[in-house]
Amino acid sequence: MSFLFGGGRPQLSSAEKIAAAETEVEMISDMFNRLSQSCTKKCIPPEYREPDLNKGESVCLDRCVSKFFEVNLKVSEKMQGEAAQRGGAGGGMSGFGM
Amino acid sequence: MDGLNASEQREFQGRMEKKQMKEFMTMYSNLVQRCFDDCVNDFTTKSLHAKEEGCVMKCVDKYLKGSERLGQRFQEQNAAMMQSGQLPGR
Repeated sequence: MSFLFGGGRPQLSSAEKIAAAETEVEMISDMFNRLSQSCTKKCIPPEYREPDLNKGESVCLDRCVSKFFEVNLKVSEKMQGEAAQRGGAGGGMSGFGM
Repeated sequence: MDGLNASEQREFQGRMEKKQMKEFMTMYSNLVQRCFDDCVNDFTTKSLHAKEEGCVMKCVDKYLKGSERLGQRFQEQNAAMMQSGQLPGR
């Protein structure tokens, strides 16, 4: 989470540091769980003809992960762009804390 | 994780272990639900018949292999993303 509190780096208490580290792991594991759910749903049809991933399913999963990250990035870029615009135009509200 | 001293590190590890345990249980119950939903639709008998059982076994196998593959790809992408300094892994 250091990108949120990057600036002055105030002295954090132990509890705060642990919580920050925990939040970081939390974010990543949450993202993985979402990706897992979406990609499994999209790539593995509910007919289980064989116990292994077949070629199509494997390739689909690989591409799905890649695209998920790409979408993640696009959304974050767009939101940052909009936040910057808003900040540049009117000042005041610093919408999205990134 | 950076910037934690030894005792903080220990506390953090402990929490991560708890979290892992919880995630495992969640994964397990999701798997049961998924394979049940996809494989078992006939309630004219009381126990699973051979076809349903086969389906469940294949479902579990496939799901686990799928998760493993997703995990590998995720690691790779996440590492690449962190290196280039973009969100979300910092």
